[in-house]
Amino acid sequence: MSDMITQCERVAHDEGLAAGLAAALDTVDVNSAPGGVAAVPATWVTAGAPVVPYDMARDEGVAFVRCETPTTTATDELTRLGVRLGAVRLALTRRLTEHAVEHLSSRVAAGEPTIRKQLVLGTLADVLTATEALRQQLRVSPDSAVAVADVHDRITELDWELAKLLGASGYVTDSPKRGAHVSELIANCWIVREGA
Amino acid sequence: MTELDPSLRELRAACRDMAADLRARALAVDADPANMAPHLDSPALAMIRGATTPKRFRRADAATAADGYATETCLARVVATVEMARGDAGLLVANPGPALAGTVVDALGSEAQQELFYDTIADGRTWTFFAMTEPERGSDATAIDARLDPDPDGGYRLHAHKRYISNGARGGIGVVFARTGASPLTIRAALVRCPAPGFTGHPLDMVGLRGARISELFLDGVPVPREMLLGAHLPASRRGIWGASRVFNAMRVQIAAMAVGVAFAARDYVREQRPGWSGHELVSARLKAAREVLYDAAAAVDHAPDDRRPPSIAKLHGTDLAVRVTRWAAAALGPGSLLHHPLLEKWCRDVHAFEFMDGTSNIQRLHIAQGF
Repeated sequence: MSDMITQCERVAHDEGLAAGLAAALDTVDVNSAPGGVAAVPATWVTAGAPVVPYDMARDEGVAFVRCETPTTTATDELTRLGVRLGAVRLALTRRLTEHAVEHLSSRVAAGEPTIRKQLVLGTLADVLTATEALRQQLRVSPDSAVAVADVHDRITELDWELAKLLGASGYVTDSPKRGAHVSELIANCWIVREGA
Repeated sequence: MTELDPSLRELRAACRDMAADLRARALAVDADPANMAPHLDSPALAMIRGATTPKRFRRADAATAADGYATETCLARVVATVEMARGDAGLLVANPGPALAGTVVDALGSEAQQELFYDTIADGRTWTFFAMTEPERGSDATAIDARLDPDPDGGYRLHAHKRYISNGARGGIGVVFARTGASPLTIRAALVRCPAPGFTGHPLDMVGLRGARISELFLDGVPVPREMLLGAHLPASRRGIWGASRVFNAMRVQIAAMAVGVAFAARDYVREQRPGWSGHELVSARLKAAREVLYDAAAAVDHAPDDRRPPSIAKLHGTDLAVRVTRWAAAALGPGSLLHHPLLEKWCRDVHAFEFMDGTSNIQRLHIAQGF
């Protein structure tokens, strides 16, 4: 599983969200999405498939497809998928971190690069720390649905902390934040939470 | 804790009823925010236009439900905004009318400037805009680059690049902040009517709150007659950015009110979808507390309008809680919830906008800590 985590994260970081999603889904039956809507690479969608239109997902090469003939996938298999998707999402978080650093390095506030502001540095340090911790959580608890769901929830939080650093520029649809937004929707499709 | 008097409780109830009309229109405006024609006669939007227009400028032939209430105070407007945003905040910001620009005109405008502003928008079909933010400066009002250069023919020529301006590209009149010199005291607010020579703009494709038609504006030598600068009748220390600081305090509470309203909407939606489920109790308790924080901040603005700490507390807390509550709602409705429930998906996008309006959370943190 550790190799799969590394591979999914590398593919998503280097080739983008859709490629990472393809690597994570691997042989999973897409009709087994627990909520009845599967997030899949757009290239997997067959003609006439019941796609839920979503512009930002389309621009990331991702599609949401309603499961016409729902099947059931064992909980442990969905949990393992959650681990691989967690690795993909961590890669998107890293990409967003890199963009935030670049963006803030080019801005000046009160005569100082914004990247040097203490509150900004604190957020970046927290994100970098949590990224490492969450990757390890995937590695040590790949069979725990609770632990895997927690990783996804915290990735969503980290992405939001990074988006806040971008100001309104992160709220335009063609911003790098778009990938993180779609990655949250992918998790919404595939991750099951106990007690929800 | 701020107690609402009977008239404010009536206003709150009236707005809660009206909000259903906004909810019904929410997805249509999100999908096609340029097409507002079918919505402009909405009773709720008319009520908001009325409530945010000073009574002396309301048209006698255009009575609205707002006429029965006193809506001049920050507290009254916050009480109303929470309930209306509980219908849909995207509709609130899509509405023609005074909006933020009106608040600036009320604070800094002379009687003649106020007449001009409210006459221009009296048809209920004219959008206004508040142009402060610049691409490289964010919402740092004291650092703006926009210039008001003296015009040899009299008045000024306005040169500015503004970005993330609600309803900017479709506005008929707006307030643009720019400087006549180097010092912060030279930052002034200019009334600009559109169309104007040298004024161009286009809407940006934003993730959420799409009804606001958030825009990028270019002002290339737009002529500004001297009488269009707001605040000429005020002391130098109150006519520009420092005079507008009170407006920013009121704005922050309003933005927080929209955030908390959306969070209530998401909570309400989960309760509708899961009747009898008690899993909302903690969220409900936090929301009620956040609303009290808001009311306290609004009352503080009414009593001490220069104190920026209470509004910043309300905005920092309200926007953070709203994001958390919409995430909670998505989780509460199970896998695929954001694809099965378009309103909830929209609100999850919308709440992020409030973070970026009038100062991010880090800016609010600085205000709060510096005011301690």
